[in-house]
Amino acid sequence: MSVLNQMDWLLPQLLLVLFALILPALDYLFKDKRVLSLAALVPLVGIALALVGWLFMGLWTFPRSGVPSALEVNLFSGLFMLVFVSVGIVVVLSSPEFISKERNQGEYYSLILLAITGMTVVAEAADLIALFVGLEIAGISSFALSGFKKREKRSAEAATKYFIVGGFSSALTLFAISLFYGVTGVTNISMMGPLLNNAFTNLDGSDSVALLATVLLLAGFGFKIALVPFHMWAPDVYEGAPTPISGLLAAASKKMGFAAFFKVFLIGIVISKTDWELAVAALAIITMTVGNLVAVSQTNVKRMLAYSSIAQAGYILIALPVGTQYAVAGGMFHILTHAFMKSGAFMVVAAMGACAIGEKLDDFKGLSRRSPFLAISMALFLLSLAGIPPLAGFASKFVLFSSAVYTSISPGPHWLVWLAIAGVLNSALSLYYYARVIKYMYMEKAPDESRVKTPPMMMLGILFAVAMTILLFLFADSVVNLCLDAAHGSFPTLPLGR
Amino acid sequence: MFENVPVISIIILLPLIGSFATFLLGKYGKYAKYLALAFTTAAFLLSLAVSYEFVTTPSPANSTGYHNGYQFYENHSWIKSIGVSYIVGLDGISLPLFVLTTLLCMLSILFSWDTELRPKEYFGLMQILEVGVLGVFVSLDYFLFYVFWEVVLIPMYFMIGVWGGPNKDYAAIKFFIYTHVASLAILVAIMAMYFEAQVGSFSMERIAAESVGFSRAFQFAVFGAMFFGFGVKLPMVPFHTWLPDAHVEAPTAGSVLLAGLLLKMGGYGLIRVAIPSLPLGAHDMVPAMAVIAIASILYGGIVCLAQKDLKKMVAYSSISHMGFVLLGFATLSQLGMTAGVFQMFAHGLVTAVLFMMCGVIQHKCGTRMIPSLGGLAKKMPIAATLMTAGFLASLGLPGMVSFAAEFLVFWSMFNQWGLWLFVPIIGVAITAAYYLWALQRSMFGPLTDKIDTSHLRDISWYEGVPVGILIALIALFGVFPSLIISRIDTAVTVIQAVLHLFGGG
Repeated sequence: MSVLNQMDWLLPQLLLVLFALILPALDYLFKDKRVLSLAALVPLVGIALALVGWLFMGLWTFPRSGVPSALEVNLFSGLFMLVFVSVGIVVVLSSPEFISKERNQGEYYSLILLAITGMTVVAEAADLIALFVGLEIAGISSFALSGFKKREKRSAEAATKYFIVGGFSSALTLFAISLFYGVTGVTNISMMGPLLNNAFTNLDGSDSVALLATVLLLAGFGFKIALVPFHMWAPDVYEGAPTPISGLLAAASKKMGFAAFFKVFLIGIVISKTDWELAVAALAIITMTVGNLVAVSQTNVKRMLAYSSIAQAGYILIALPVGTQYAVAGGMFHILTHAFMKSGAFMVVAAMGACAIGEKLDDFKGLSRRSPFLAISMALFLLSLAGIPPLAGFASKFVLFSSAVYTSISPGPHWLVWLAIAGVLNSALSLYYYARVIKYMYMEKAPDESRVKTPPMMMLGILFAVAMTILLFLFADSVVNLCLDAAHGSFPTLPLGR
Repeated sequence: MFENVPVISIIILLPLIGSFATFLLGKYGKYAKYLALAFTTAAFLLSLAVSYEFVTTPSPANSTGYHNGYQFYENHSWIKSIGVSYIVGLDGISLPLFVLTTLLCMLSILFSWDTELRPKEYFGLMQILEVGVLGVFVSLDYFLFYVFWEVVLIPMYFMIGVWGGPNKDYAAIKFFIYTHVASLAILVAIMAMYFEAQVGSFSMERIAAESVGFSRAFQFAVFGAMFFGFGVKLPMVPFHTWLPDAHVEAPTAGSVLLAGLLLKMGGYGLIRVAIPSLPLGAHDMVPAMAVIAIASILYGGIVCLAQKDLKKMVAYSSISHMGFVLLGFATLSQLGMTAGVFQMFAHGLVTAVLFMMCGVIQHKCGTRMIPSLGGLAKKMPIAATLMTAGFLASLGLPGMVSFAAEFLVFWSMFNQWGLWLFVPIIGVAITAAYYLWALQRSMFGPLTDKIDTSHLRDISWYEGVPVGILIALIALFGVFPSLIISRIDTAVTVIQAVLHLFGGG
């Protein structure tokens, strides 16, 4: 048992993989497929409760690896893991009705668990190779998931597109990693920094290799989190994939990209920050602006949400060029709130699909009559996404944008304030298309006024997301503190910034 | 009476609980109005008790929950990591507006007694609106202030969008986005002050205490952002265009609350936040404030003359009358600022009557287009009496509350800028003209034949009672303005001291 004792810090991943292996077998045993989703919930809820007990209540500490290794458990990884499993819970709860007519449902849940396993590996990775492996586990599972309704053309197209783009971005990432290895001779992220510094001071040409690697990595990760101009795949995939999976991609998979981004850019290559900060800042502003502008003209709500999550990625990216602990905490806080409001919004769309209403903007007409519950939940998610208090999205955007304002005032550079201004203006712009959906739900008449009943498990999932969207605002204090501690623990070299 | 009782929080909580109770009524939705009336009346009575307990010249010895000039003060930390607290309190500036809010919300609910379209949502949203407005008037923490400020937008957006007139979609979204952009300007200004003050707290008092260190250029820029943000809400020319659209489409009670309370939030923000925290910025902006104020007074009045829609006329008259508020503030004098706050209170009472009467006309006649009306006094004598009283109050008849307020504004302007006074005074003449002309065309003269008047009934009880109460108050405070002015005056003295200290007089 000594081997097991040494691996207790891997328990969450082991648990997820174990259930992922059992689930296809359960598929053969039970006629009622809802059992599968209940089984898939077991590890997710278990891990979520354990994480909450650790992060917020201090009931126990999560075991950490004794020796320096490829994976490292800390507050940062814990918080991201909480995001992933929470989104997983929402997604799994709303899946049974959505895929009730499909075959091989066991594999569906098992792929979800595997995708989440991959994400948790990324969150814990302390080594570029481990990071890459995590990205691949999550990526390959997601490709298969987005094509799960394989008889639907859109779904198959989405999977193919996602696969090709994902493969390309993996190649870029791996190439960048190999270049970094060539320059520094290590793959450990925190050891890279000082060695990279040598490369920059030696003037033997290796600095240009490192810069090339940085650009490749920016593109590779940029594809993962759908930064403009690497975003083209996202709307098609989100639209074509089964709606719960779109939620998983937007709310969790994208956040995995950010975990990788933060780690590599703010620990590994933070030394060359002055080289990349302007490029990343420009990408952030372009991403949020393009995402919001294009979202305005969408008539499919899923597609609109896809563009909105591109825009939200632009907001989160503000944390990188600002590069203070406070900014990273703001980014993590927004990642957490965004996970709930965005997955919730996708689940409302999924519920509408399950109730055979549809996912076009026109289908939202008069939803407040047909299903008051779905309408009020959607309204709350959208208002939170727009950053209207008293909802979580406001609190996290507030921390995020104020970090840019603060850093621009005291150490500078002064242009950082434009990130906050761009973010604020974009929030105003985004309100237009969010409010339009609310207008359709509450102020337009539906052609068919019949009431629809939301499946109970979906309702539970949406209710969970609604509760979190409100609670994360009311109890912002403990969350912000936790994010600050996590940022301090994982990025001790960054300035405090507050 | 309220030692150790968080009475302000209770007053804010009452409509919040009421709104949730109303939303959850289910199929008993037709009883929503009783529930809403009960909760808002309770809030109103409690706020009356608070104003009874309120001491005009407070000190730690004689008042409840005293703290630095505020009474009924509450302070709890909320988001410690970024310095956000739940701080509420009342002083002479906020008290009149606070009681006005509970009063108008209660009366608007009574006025909407016959609402049949989605009553649960309607009465629930009205109570949420009350929560937001009350919160704005008592918050002493910028973060909290902004939260309440934004909370107000959502119910109003729905009220216009769901219960509004034919062009409601356009009006609702225009209102929402226009005022949200203004809010964001305020948000950026708040963030800038927070970081410049370096006290790690969003408390208004603590940031104001640091404002000595704010450079003149910083104050000018931040005051500019706040002036824009609050000015849109006020509304001031040229950022007023959302208001006529919103008013024309909004249901009557929505218009009452919009004009009676939401516009006051803009003025309140200026006097509570912008002027005392950024005195140098305020000094530098005086010319801009004065010019915009006079432009609003004159422009609003002239446009009123051309209106055919009674309600649109009243809406534009609000722009004109809120210009007086801004004019009073622009003098930056003790008298002017007191008069500005008093004008906000007066306009809240008067404009509520006017919009309610527009609602009555619309309700009974099916139209409010002035050319289609005429001679209604013969058919609806009580309504005609109330409407005449309202119009006379609004045009500043002595003995009514508006006269006292406008007179003080003019007095303060004369002290400051002498005979320039004649420019805004033209506005009073215009006001008299459009009101009397409209009254003559709609209420008096031969009975109209453009609408069917055979079944025309006089005002209903649930409409008459609120209007009657308001007119009684208009007369009461018109004869005894000092009841309120003395309280505002004490609070303004504090701001005045700040201005003298830092602004060089």
